[in-house]
Amino acid sequence: MRLLVLLWSLGPLLWQLRTSLLRPEALVAPLLEGSPWTLANYQLVLSGDPPFWRYLSNSALVGLVTTGLTLLLAVPCAYGLQKQRGPLRWGVGLGLVAAAMFPTVLLFLALLEIARSFGLANDLLALSLPYTALSLPLAVLLLRAAFADLPVELEDAARLEGLDLGQRLRHVLLPLLGPALASTGILVFLASWNEYAIALTWISRNDLLTLPIAIARIGGSSVFTIPYGAFAAATVLGSLPLLLLVLLAQRAIVSGLTRGAVKG
Amino acid sequence: MKQRATTLLLMLPALLLLAAVFLYPLLRYGWLSFHASSVLTGLVPVPNGGANWLRLLSDARFWTDAGQTLRFAVCSVALELAGGLALALLLHQPLQGRGALRALTLLPWALPTTVMALGWRWILNDPHGPLNAAIRSLGGSSYAFLSTPATTWFFVVLADVWKTLPFVALLLLAGLQTIPVDLEEALRLEGASRVQILRRLTLPLLVPYIALALLFRLAQALGVFDLILVLSGGGPAGSTESLALYAYLNAMRFLDFGYAATVMLATFLLLLALLGGGWLLLRRGGIERTPDRAT
Repeated sequence: MRLLVLLWSLGPLLWQLRTSLLRPEALVAPLLEGSPWTLANYQLVLSGDPPFWRYLSNSALVGLVTTGLTLLLAVPCAYGLQKQRGPLRWGVGLGLVAAAMFPTVLLFLALLEIARSFGLANDLLALSLPYTALSLPLAVLLLRAAFADLPVELEDAARLEGLDLGQRLRHVLLPLLGPALASTGILVFLASWNEYAIALTWISRNDLLTLPIAIARIGGSSVFTIPYGAFAAATVLGSLPLLLLVLLAQRAIVSGLTRGAVKG
Repeated sequence: MKQRATTLLLMLPALLLLAAVFLYPLLRYGWLSFHASSVLTGLVPVPNGGANWLRLLSDARFWTDAGQTLRFAVCSVALELAGGLALALLLHQPLQGRGALRALTLLPWALPTTVMALGWRWILNDPHGPLNAAIRSLGGSSYAFLSTPATTWFFVVLADVWKTLPFVALLLLAGLQTIPVDLEEALRLEGASRVQILRRLTLPLLVPYIALALLFRLAQALGVFDLILVLSGGGPAGSTESLALYAYLNAMRFLDFGYAATVMLATFLLLLALLGGGWLLLRRGGIERTPDRAT
């Protein structure tokens, strides 16, 4: 049973790994002589123009800035929302749920217009603005649930001690939110790392592409002879960071969703 | 009073950014949908009354795509819920190496959709992909999977299920973890079988989580875009084209921004009607049992 599940989940990925290590001729027909295995696909991808690590660093940069900005905006918003009562509370909550479910591809046209009129196209850091907005609804909902789990007495005691709001957040509340911040941050980072429609329309300069666009370009550079070896190598290289992240943070991701998912 | 003002102020930056990115586009589409803005007008919006909306009503491609999108969403989400529940139940068992198993099954969800869509294209490649190689080694002959509507459609759904099933499983696993172990134990001592426990205890308590996964996944599946763009391009002959892809093509390929805005807004309104209706049904059907500790 476990084996079956693993085969289903990893089969297509392992096939990419195998493809990436084969000589192009060996993909098409069994080789008559010599070993079919090679690292040439990796060399090809890594020595491209720009080299592949450039895309990795582009995506990492956008992902990190997006994650930081999202948490910076989501924490105060979640705290404020948790303190609200009445129609504003459920109104904003409902709006956030609706925004979290919104199919983001429908936004790209208007966002592209904004980008063009403010000169934000082909600007990696500017890309993290819409990404932050797209991640905010879920981040606020998750963090609000985390704030709701903290005992009220804790903040009351800190207030009696004379700590102002900023101090209470920094020294009392946020240290207890560590796990929630971590799992929210990971979800935000993943969403930014994988986003396609906005990056596709905002970025056209080759050296500024994010990973999903770059890989799709490698794979789609010719309609008839898709360079599958190079594409597979790119896929493997682009997946390794995610594999590490998921392996390391599995517990945080699961617990993050456990804590916040239904309370939104 | 002062404290209330402070908490409102704390929410303001996030809400402003959200309004700019979510509300502004909808208003802008509303405005654009009453304008012609295409190559013919030099990409300058010119008011054209309700021409875009009239065109939409009689646009067979739009309504065909609407049906296809709905069919895709219903099939994918149904399979994901069934498979996700099975996977969640498995991952909830005290197995050896459970953490690693959870992480590895989560991996398809963490990878970029477009990247794995290209991967599927290689797997389905005619004649060199592994699937055709396997068919040939069994004595069959190669099949052009992505040139036949039925098989293309099947693999588009399969690719979506493969990618998002772990996410559904994770949500349901979160739900399973909230069920007290002693309740299950008590039922077992009464002599209930595993199937009875599942039906009488587990499933009823999972209802809010299932409803949540259903709503989220339906919304996302109805907006399916990048998977289809890369895996099938909407083909063959438009048979897998989704509404979001049609809107994208109107804007980026046909450069008809007025009509693209109309299609996007119409898609959003259809989605809203569908999910709003579904939500009301669920609300009646028992989602009020949602453990909403936050309110």
